[in-house]
Amino acid sequence: MSKTDVLIIGGGLIGCATALHLARAGASVRLVEAGDINAGASGQNAGSLHFQMERRFLENGAALADQAARIIALNRLAIDEWRGLEVDLGVDLHVSQKGGLMVAETPEQVALLEAKSRREISGGLATQLLDGDAARALCPALGPDVLAASYLADEGHADPRALTPAFAHAAAEAGAVISTRQHVLSITRRSPGGFDVAAKKGDEMETLQADQIFVAAGAWTPAVCALANLHIPLFPVALLMNATERTGPILPQLIQHVGRRLSMKQAYAGNVIIGGGWPSRLAQRPDGGFDLNARASIIPLSRSGNLRAAIDIVPQIGALNLIRSWTGVTTISADQLPIAGAVSRVPGFYVAAGGSAFTLGPTFARLIARVMGGERVEALDVLSPDRFNHLNSFMG
Amino acid sequence: MAEHFDLAIVGGGPAGQAAAIALQGLDLSIAVIDEQAQPGGQILRQPPAQFAVRLWLPGRAYDRLKAQTEHFGRLDRVSWLGRHTVIEIARDGAHFALLTENALGVRAITADRVLIAAGCQDLAVPLAGWTLPGVYTAGAIQAFVKSQQYVPGERIVLAGTHPLQLLIAAQIVAAGGTVAEVLFAQPISAMFRAVLTKPLVGLRGSGNMLAAAAALRILRRAGVPVSFGSALQRIEGESRVTHVILASGRRIACDTVGLNYGFVPQSLLPRMMGAKVRPAGAAGGFAAVHDEWMRSSLPGLYVAGETTGVAGAPASQAEGELAGVGIGLDAGWIDMAEAGRQTRRARSRHRHLQAFARLLDTVANPLPWFPVPEDDTIICRCEDVDYATLAAQSGGGSANAVKLITRCGMGPCQGRNCEPSLLRMLDDRGLTSDPGFTQRFPARPIPVSELADPG
Ligand SMILES: Cc1cc2nc3c(=O)[nH]c(=O)nc-3n(C[C@H](O)[C@H](O)[C@H](O)COP(=O)(O)OP(=O)(O)OC[C@H]3O[C@@H](n4cnc5c(N)ncnc54)[C@H](O)[C@@H]3O)c2cc1C
Ligand SMILES: Cc1cc2nc3c(=O)[nH]c(=O)nc-3n(C[C@H](O)[C@H](O)[C@H](O)COP(=O)(O)OP(=O)(O)OC[C@H]3O[C@@H](n4cnc5c(N)ncnc54)[C@H](O)[C@@H]3O)c2cc1C
Repeated sequence: MSKTDVLIIGGGLIGCATALHLARAGASVRLVEAGDINAGASGQNAGSLHFQMERRFLENGAALADQAARIIALNRLAIDEWRGLEVDLGVDLHVSQKGGLMVAETPEQVALLEAKSRREISGGLATQLLDGDAARALCPALGPDVLAASYLADEGHADPRALTPAFAHAAAEAGAVISTRQHVLSITRRSPGGFDVAAKKGDEMETLQADQIFVAAGAWTPAVCALANLHIPLFPVALLMNATERTGPILPQLIQHVGRRLSMKQAYAGNVIIGGGWPSRLAQRPDGGFDLNARASIIPLSRSGNLRAAIDIVPQIGALNLIRSWTGVTTISADQLPIAGAVSRVPGFYVAAGGSAFTLGPTFARLIARVMGGERVEALDVLSPDRFNHLNSFMG
Repeated sequence: MAEHFDLAIVGGGPAGQAAAIALQGLDLSIAVIDEQAQPGGQILRQPPAQFAVRLWLPGRAYDRLKAQTEHFGRLDRVSWLGRHTVIEIARDGAHFALLTENALGVRAITADRVLIAAGCQDLAVPLAGWTLPGVYTAGAIQAFVKSQQYVPGERIVLAGTHPLQLLIAAQIVAAGGTVAEVLFAQPISAMFRAVLTKPLVGLRGSGNMLAAAAALRILRRAGVPVSFGSALQRIEGESRVTHVILASGRRIACDTVGLNYGFVPQSLLPRMMGAKVRPAGAAGGFAAVHDEWMRSSLPGLYVAGETTGVAGAPASQAEGELAGVGIGLDAGWIDMAEAGRQTRRARSRHRHLQAFARLLDTVANPLPWFPVPEDDTIICRCEDVDYATLAAQSGGGSANAVKLITRCGMGPCQGRNCEPSLLRMLDDRGLTSDPGFTQRFPARPIPVSELADPG
């Protein structure tokens, strides 16, 4: 039987990074991952470091845009976090912060860019509005249809394949015990405090005792929280990604689109990675419901639409060979904001999932570790799971 | 609008052809799609029509296959889509949606049922020097010889564990080429022992045994040495192969090497679709799982030929026949009694051929004889990942996890060449029964513009 201060469930970016910060702060940490480290969304994502407001916050009206503004403060923390990450972890994460361009092709989209950038500037993000030619001067690969772009110098991309393993490695060096291919099957509250968790590896069951639990199980978070009789309103979503063959340097910046679903960047190896939130079809269980452990399938219209958007913005992409399309599953909360913090209904129970947690995950982890150490961290208030407390009034 | 067919067959080799022939006379539209320009599959790789060849595939073993190809060519209601590569098969409501690519672009096809008869490929075997110009799989050399009567090299060494290299050596000699030596890594006693444990099976497969014996005679007459217990250790040369070095230290001068350690099923399409597969055997790879009518684990999807395991062309033919009749049965075009009658002979042939294939697998078993790569030997050629890099990571988890960390298998070929090597490394560390790299769209690289919405 293992007994630690903290048990972390989930070996994605958030779990591994939090393990590092807790271990460095002196806590004894056990992390349990059902598959391999980085096998979930953290290893499948687009690797964008985007700090401009996401298109989805703008397209769903003023209420959401307001919330997004509150995220800007977190984004500013994240910018600093990323600037120091490679040094802190001592690993080449292929971080490239050579700027990001969010492009517009129509006058309506330009107006949207203007509104967005006003909001960002008042929140302290140094977004610049550029006309089409100025944008093309920065990124000559942009096509003639680009009318304008908002530019943020801090944006860029990094290597999702490197980041989470680097956190896991550093966490283990700092004393965290990490086990893979071990599934958490039950969570029992002890009195007066703490938890007994049953986890299975191969045919062996292990009981893990901990004072605190941190659920960082990505799209599986609601299922893991259900083991503790808690509702967490997160919903799985499957997204499409595409990669071209390697090519010479054509795109120094991260490219996004304010009015269409598009994110594009050239990874360090030379492949152009194309995504932007196009839906894929989640696998279904025969008995109903989504099967998160089976691969989501590609929706052909998403693929052709995503690639069209890419070519419209950077025409030379059309001539490159596509070598891979893949689907990855992540999760979105009922109000679109990530969920991160203490579930006050169950003392000692913490959770973090949802949102763009490649960009923000390292920051969430640093802050959550402080919360778990007993600090009050105001920056996380906006993400508190307690905003959904009503769902758990009859649970816990 | 996509063109619709009752049945789409991927692969016009012995298996795909046999399936189409089994359904002849029924009022069905069938598309047979193949990357090759002409029907025939691997074994009958036909020379281009304008190419005059004197000596085209001698040997009785091929006669029946040639006859089948001619028969196939006479079928009406079969649309031959040559030079079309299938890059995706996906379930789309009640039917399947296929995307194919050819020189003119992407073509969408729908079909009520799909048969995948995509054959097999040579196992790629990494060892020091294998990326030098002049190193091929033996099958690739054979393909040159068969389809163009062209021998790629002046002095060829064939090395491996598979008896097929005797036939390939004989074909090279017949085409006027020079084979310096044929090297079997295993001792001859190991091969005999395997045959002696199953003498009856060996006898039933005597056609193949005779072919091998005939090949040996040709080689002896041409003065080509065939040696056993001669394991290859390195291939050397500066800008091209100049010689090979055996484990014994012996050195053989040559400018071309053909490696022949066995074959692995083409499993990308069934795996991409999520059909159930099993480890294919000692040479590695995955074979599509099927029932007695060649139904895969997915409704409406059938598999036949070497996609289901490597057992030789006649076994592929038999499986194709079973699949064709099985499809007719499921669609209600053929009733059960008729289906049973029609396939009695194919079924019993198939049983014997499978038994012989298992025997051949034992004789040719490469597992104890794989050359040991050196630290800087490239394993994944698309992404330049070497042995030491993989060795440092392959304790860490699944093939997919190693891929994420090292990029092994991340290139255009989706790990077709490096996957078996990596899985052997995982296996050595007790990480057995790994499902391999997730196989994704597209089956072959394709220009972005061809997939984009026309706008
Ligand atoms: C296609 C795609 C593109 C994306 N692009 C971007 C982007 O460009 N920028 C950005 O910022 N974000 C992006 N995201 C989002 C980002 O990837 C995720 O927000 C982030 O990786 C979440 O990390 P995580 O640690 O919460 O979850 P995951 O990485 O999913 O980790 C959760 C882990 O929990 C484990 N687990 C589940 N159940 C159990 C159990 N019972 N016991 C033990 N372990 C369990 C799982 O096996 C998994 O490894 C993208 C996501 C996808 C899918
Ligand atoms: C290189 C090589 C050499 C061989 N030499 C011999 C030999 O000399 N003697 C012998 O007995 N056996 C040989 N074999 C084994 C031989 O392939 C089989 O015995 C026989 O041809 C198998 O028949 P099949 O119908 O199962 O597959 P195949 O004959 O391989 O037919 C499969 C067909 O599918 C097509 N195909 C595959 N994927 C796609 C796709 N995505 N889109 C479109 N088309 C596709 C291929 O082009 C091929 O024509 C060899 C195999 C290989 C790989």
